[in-house]
Amino acid sequence: MDVTVLDRQQATYPLELFASSVPLFQSYLGSGPIVELKRPEAYLGGDGFHEFVYFPVGGGPEFGDSEKLNLVPPDAAPGYCISRTSSCQMTAFHAASMKEEREDMILEKMESTTGSGSRESFTKRKAEVVADHKSKDKRIKGEVEGESEVKTKCSTQVSRNSSKENSKACEVQKPDYIHVRARRGQATDSHSLAERARREKISKKMKCLQDLVPGCNKVTGKAGMLDEIINYVQSLQRQVGFLSMKIAALNSSVEFNVENLPIKEFPAYVANFPAAAKLPAMPNLTCFQLNPMQKEAVNCMLNETIHPPLTATEGIASASVSIPEQALSSSTITLQPFSTWNMDPQGLYNVYDMGFH
Amino acid sequence: MMNTPQQVKNPSSSLKSRFITRFLGALTKITAEDPILSSSPTRIFQRYRRIKVASNKSMAYSVRSRRIWSRAMLSRFRSRRSAFSGRRSSVKTTNCGEAMDVCNLLDETAHYIKCLTTQVQVMRKIVDFYHLSK
Repeated sequence: MDVTVLDRQQATYPLELFASSVPLFQSYLGSGPIVELKRPEAYLGGDGFHEFVYFPVGGGPEFGDSEKLNLVPPDAAPGYCISRTSSCQMTAFHAASMKEEREDMILEKMESTTGSGSRESFTKRKAEVVADHKSKDKRIKGEVEGESEVKTKCSTQVSRNSSKENSKACEVQKPDYIHVRARRGQATDSHSLAERARREKISKKMKCLQDLVPGCNKVTGKAGMLDEIINYVQSLQRQVGFLSMKIAALNSSVEFNVENLPIKEFPAYVANFPAAAKLPAMPNLTCFQLNPMQKEAVNCMLNETIHPPLTATEGIASASVSIPEQALSSSTITLQPFSTWNMDPQGLYNVYDMGFH
Repeated sequence: MMNTPQQVKNPSSSLKSRFITRFLGALTKITAEDPILSSSPTRIFQRYRRIKVASNKSMAYSVRSRRIWSRAMLSRFRSRRSAFSGRRSSVKTTNCGEAMDVCNLLDETAHYIKCLTTQVQVMRKIVDFYHLSK
């Protein structure tokens, strides 16, 4: 419940409350919410740090002890939101803090503003606040690392029990630096961060490719994905070959004029076609009828597909050689690669009625 | 025909329409030089080769030099007579001398897939249109 309350609030208020001065947390040892703390100068409104920490809760009572101070009434809450441009040190945490879990957010603020001595005490207090208890040692260690990394414009993410492992890049007011959240236990020097950013870029592109290539959802891992992509590209190239064979075999003398095919109707036209292009496997031929001469030409094409010839003349020579052998025996088998491109003619005819008046 | 280098938004100069225009022009030339009625296997095969090359060429020219794979294909088309390479044009084996790190390769692959699907769509439409109009 504590967590939810604060999470809700976090979504509403950017938590950038600390400027350069360090509130004294030493006095706060988790005994109670009420603490006498020195306020940071830039801290607007409010009466004390505890108000910040517990956040302006619309309904106080559900949060921890009843002793806890009242938290700022909701209408004064906006006073807690310091404008982003005011403080320089805290800009790093802004964009990320909106989305992060509460513990990390508060902790980050502590990292940049508190001295090392106050960390442990603050950690203790925070541990009480936090619903999920995390190991303190790791957190302190994370804080120490974070302290040094603040200088290098990176913030270290504290350990989380949650399974979320995304690292985020924070857009900050200073466009010179990209703030990346490092995972726990990983190096935080600039090289590995750059590596990590590069890897994430690559995985993002792989995801885009996954959307393009159908049937990739079952495959996991880059190698399998690349295999799928290669297969898909090859199948598309084969389809281009088959379609060009079909065009070559057309027994019509219609001129291929641009006027005959209204281009504007193409998008609607395309929508009516089955997604046969997406099938890497070619189903059996059902309705594509070829006369014997066309069959032989298809044989040539398939031979070429398997053994790409070097020149056109060579291709034809090899094709003419292979015709007698294959035409009789495998004329049906070789037609299998043709997919059922031809739709229901009635449906197509309707489409033509629509588009080609 | 040189269309404007604009893309996407304007439907009249999209990649698809540029490809269609070029490809149909090439098809007209091919069928004019070689009447389809005389359909011996070798003829059909020859025509098939020309049509396939025309299709790939039309697509490469429509993309022009904006992409690494199109540049590779164009250079391959131009140098085909003198020094042929027996390899099929695959994105993974493009004979481009430019640096292709994984990131760029994935970008090129995505664009190439998009162009290939456009090619297949258009050719299928052509086939069915003329198939039905017989």
